[in-house]
Amino acid sequence: MSQRDTTPSDDGGKLGFSFGRRDFMKAGAVGAVAAGLGSSLTSLRSVAQADDYRDALVDHTGTYKPSTCAGCTSWCSAQILVDDRTRRVIRTRGHEDSEIHGTHDCPRQDLGIQQLYDPDRVTQPMRRTNPEKGKGVDPEFEPISWEEAIGMLADEIMELRENDETEKFMVTRGRYTYLRPILYSYLPQIIGSPNNISHSAICAEAEKFGPMFTEGEWAYRQYDVQNTRYVIAWGADPISSNRQVSHYSNEFGDLLDRATVAVVEPRLSSTASKSDEWLPVEPGKDGALASAMAHVILRDGLWSREFVGEFEDGENRFVPDERVDPATFEESENSQGVVEWWNEELYDKDPEWAAEEVGVDAEQIERIATGFGEAGPQAISWLGGGPCMQVRGSYTAMAIHALNGLVGSVGNRGGTMYAPSTGVEDLPAPDPYIDEVAEHGLNNEKIDQRGRLEFPALKDGESGGGVVTNNAADGILDEDPNEIKVLLSYWNNFAFSNPESKRWEDALAKIPFHATIETHASETAWFADLILPATHHQFERWGQLRSTAARRRTINLHTPVMADDPDDPRDVLENGRLWDCKTDETEIPYLLAEALADRGFDNMLEFFDNEYPDPESGRTLREEFPGDDFESRELRAQAFSRNAIKLRTRPIWDPAYRENEFDWLGGEEFDDWVEFRERGIWHTDEWEFRHRWPSEGGEFATDSGRFEFDGETLGNALRRHADRHDVDVDTVLEVCNYQGRVADPDTPDAFVPHYEEPYDLGDGGEFPMKFVDHKDRLGREGRSANVWWSLEYKDVNPGDVPYTDVAKINPRDARQRGIEDGDEIVISSPAGEIETTARLWEGIRPGTVAKTWGQGHWAYGQRASEEMGEEAKGGHNNLVIGAEYDRLSGSSVFYGDVQVDIERR
Amino acid sequence: MSSEPESLDAQMTAELENGDLDDEGVDLSMVIDLQRCTGCAACNMGCASENNLQEGMAYSSRIIKTEGQFPNVSYEYTPTLCNQCEDAPCAEGCPTKALYKGKGNITMHDHEKCIGCKACMVNCPYDEIYLNKEDPHPTWEVEEAAIENGTATPKQVKERAGVDEENAPAYYNPNREVSDSEHPTRYKGVVEKCNFCVHRLEENELPRCVEECPCEARIFGDLNDPDSKVNEILGQYNEDVLKEDEGTQPKVKYVRDYNGGSYEAGVGEPGLSD
Repeated sequence: MSQRDTTPSDDGGKLGFSFGRRDFMKAGAVGAVAAGLGSSLTSLRSVAQADDYRDALVDHTGTYKPSTCAGCTSWCSAQILVDDRTRRVIRTRGHEDSEIHGTHDCPRQDLGIQQLYDPDRVTQPMRRTNPEKGKGVDPEFEPISWEEAIGMLADEIMELRENDETEKFMVTRGRYTYLRPILYSYLPQIIGSPNNISHSAICAEAEKFGPMFTEGEWAYRQYDVQNTRYVIAWGADPISSNRQVSHYSNEFGDLLDRATVAVVEPRLSSTASKSDEWLPVEPGKDGALASAMAHVILRDGLWSREFVGEFEDGENRFVPDERVDPATFEESENSQGVVEWWNEELYDKDPEWAAEEVGVDAEQIERIATGFGEAGPQAISWLGGGPCMQVRGSYTAMAIHALNGLVGSVGNRGGTMYAPSTGVEDLPAPDPYIDEVAEHGLNNEKIDQRGRLEFPALKDGESGGGVVTNNAADGILDEDPNEIKVLLSYWNNFAFSNPESKRWEDALAKIPFHATIETHASETAWFADLILPATHHQFERWGQLRSTAARRRTINLHTPVMADDPDDPRDVLENGRLWDCKTDETEIPYLLAEALADRGFDNMLEFFDNEYPDPESGRTLREEFPGDDFESRELRAQAFSRNAIKLRTRPIWDPAYRENEFDWLGGEEFDDWVEFRERGIWHTDEWEFRHRWPSEGGEFATDSGRFEFDGETLGNALRRHADRHDVDVDTVLEVCNYQGRVADPDTPDAFVPHYEEPYDLGDGGEFPMKFVDHKDRLGREGRSANVWWSLEYKDVNPGDVPYTDVAKINPRDARQRGIEDGDEIVISSPAGEIETTARLWEGIRPGTVAKTWGQGHWAYGQRASEEMGEEAKGGHNNLVIGAEYDRLSGSSVFYGDVQVDIERR
Repeated sequence: MSSEPESLDAQMTAELENGDLDDEGVDLSMVIDLQRCTGCAACNMGCASENNLQEGMAYSSRIIKTEGQFPNVSYEYTPTLCNQCEDAPCAEGCPTKALYKGKGNITMHDHEKCIGCKACMVNCPYDEIYLNKEDPHPTWEVEEAAIENGTATPKQVKERAGVDEENAPAYYNPNREVSDSEHPTRYKGVVEKCNFCVHRLEENELPRCVEECPCEARIFGDLNDPDSKVNEILGQYNEDVLKEDEGTQPKVKYVRDYNGGSYEAGVGEPGLSD
């Protein structure tokens, strides 16, 4: 099954002619010569040949096959044009059947093609032969077979099992599909390790904190732009990056006609450049703005009576600087605590105060707050990652999202929504296959130290419920709670993508055995003992993702588009992938399970064989492909991949299962598997406006069942965490670097949404400027630096320059420092320093430096790096961003608090 | 969007199907609605992919302008391409008539007549003509890999992808070479330019950039068809063209403003909202 052989050219040329393309070129081209001779036999002959050639190409168009783009978490459903003759992928576009975006995909999807055909992809497994691990140290990779590679990994795991130290096994996850439980959850459970660490905390977890502790939903939202009249986007750039960029880009032109759009952002982002209002706030101060806007809305009587309530005598007592007697206000059944929010936080947070604090005019604050309030409930306070991925960002997230509560746009027409019920099934779980050794290992603390006093990570209200990704490096380095001996990483580049990334280089160098599953030899792979090349998610594998917008959610399949029959494992292995690569979440665990069984531990193999038959035929993997040779195992592994996706999506395509075995809550219905996978996309019903409102018979998932302005659910969660550590809530907040306290009149209240001053990482004297990291519009989650379209069109990020890594500085600041456009500069912070090129640009708030994330690779590929494995191209933002956290959510800090200095080199 | 009566793309495609490109009276135009444009460069990448363009050869490109002073700053992205001028200086000044006004009134290029003299490049006020100084896509002929026996050489990728053509990328689009007016990949010594994807038009497909734009900001059709979408939008809004003073009478027109909000660039406070 090795793909190392190149395609044989023994078919008489692809086009069936006796001469190849090169002959044609020699005969007919060289226009200068032909023209010089005038019309001649040469050129006539070339025309005739050209005609034959062109005729043969006329039908050479190909078929559109369904798959999904995973270039960001818009996760757009896609259609891939595959050439009939050569199986070449020619094109990718949005799925025409998607109600969310149709064929209108954002540019990131197109970069996938350059990724697929990137020569720097790893084409087969490789083993490190140089035992020394370090940045810039050549691993001296050598090719190795899959059989050998999997065997090496299995040996390492068996040793942990034999020594009863399975907690020293670790899995790290990056970009996934919803087949992820197999590799990310079940595999470590069966082996016996609690150490499965996801990337979520370097994504935008703090953003979920806001909706969680107001309406009980730890999730991202979708926004009803089609029906809204006002949008305030807080550090969100929906035409540029996350989430559902395709939909919002398509809608944006119309949105500008029907709504007022305001953007809160220190730099002039893509969205800001096209909007009605730009509030270039000082980094870290968004919370002040949110409080001031809430103040105006209540002061001027613009709140939603239906959602919030009313004063019993109708007289508005929300008077600046005056507290309100709660007995005078009758709360709506939909929400609670607005008076407490006013009394504890908002009463004196007027626009003049906010203007001083954030550096934006009071008049603009008034105007936007008024416009927003008047447009309610068709008004959206759009919460992005910018204001929240900060040391004190959780409270800002609450404040921003609570504005939706004030105007009643929560779950409402023209407001904020979630996803309707989705008809996918949980994958079969491994409980019966978890033995005592595994149980013992599972009963250990996680390596990221979540749940400790200093890491509440209150996902879903649970102490230690969420990941603290970046802190896993420290856990590894300190061997606290334990050493990590074996790491299996997939589709992540933690050595690059975590703030203060050098700690990860050290942590990875320390781990004795590391196998990585990815497409490229990344910075992380440079420390690995094994590189296991991954299939490309957009084109080469089974998988499933989902998109959420336009009042729906869709379930989107990844399919192996280059195979004729994706259900035929042989076809997929031969034709469905460019190289000898395998699918992270399914094929590799399966092969590993076989290898472990060879070595006497067969729980995983039994689990897969027993629980993952083909649901249509009932055939187990071993029934479908018997045999113990490696090729048969590879076929079973691919069949396992197919079976898993069929099991996951079964309610959608299997009527009997849907009717008799599943709690089906609506959506499209398919009659069989082939019908579904040929289409590759499924839609829920539409979101029902207001269905969660208690006044409509619904319920919010908070402890109170209502939308909370008073932080009741947060209070409960904080108290649980405090109790767990035998301390009080104030101690938790102090240890975690928040200003709020429970009953201190000189600090903000710990429970209501409130403003906290930025917690500056660095002395403001030594590091006088704020660093504004932002994501690259063509970033593909950091994986596009090696494809030249992302470099040639880099100026899609306003202020950026093609092919160049730049830091954008306001000309006023530059002049003060004697820096001119194009100068080489150094950016330094307490965490480190980088070199880059200065770009003077007016769209930058003075006192800040904005820099697109994603440059600074020293590995990954020849375009991404200056010299592969040795020298970085550009400056890497994570070298100046220190490892700090918004501890209530567990999120890494990227924004708001990063202090830097800049100077000419 | 597929749920609506008929998408813009579908309507414009229907116009192509009902028309005949070879008719004398067809006068193709593209209107770019700057309010819908979000400056995402999908058009540029789609064009590069469709036409097998190498780096630096961007038929579809952009002009970006930042004006004003913080906080009263405006940023504008203007998508650009060959303007298919009515009065085309490139064709006027071409010594061999390699450039000429062809079907649909597209400014066409016949590579067989081109002597690579670059007069057209000098004459074009928009810099929309590109010279092949070398045989293109040399990077795809390289036979070295980043990691020997671990990653691929570009040439190996091409072989694996089944691309026999020289001077072509691994994701080579063969459909580009189908038309009468195309030459099978290009070569050193000739120029080339956007031709409204005439190879697609002949198959009743919209130019790639039009189809690729996620914002539906590009409207394409026949100016001589009174019912066409281009005339519909030109009826709604005032049109602009690039470098009007040059007198080239471009067929690529612009409507509305990139900054579709009411923000007034460089004028005091940000503009009042609607």
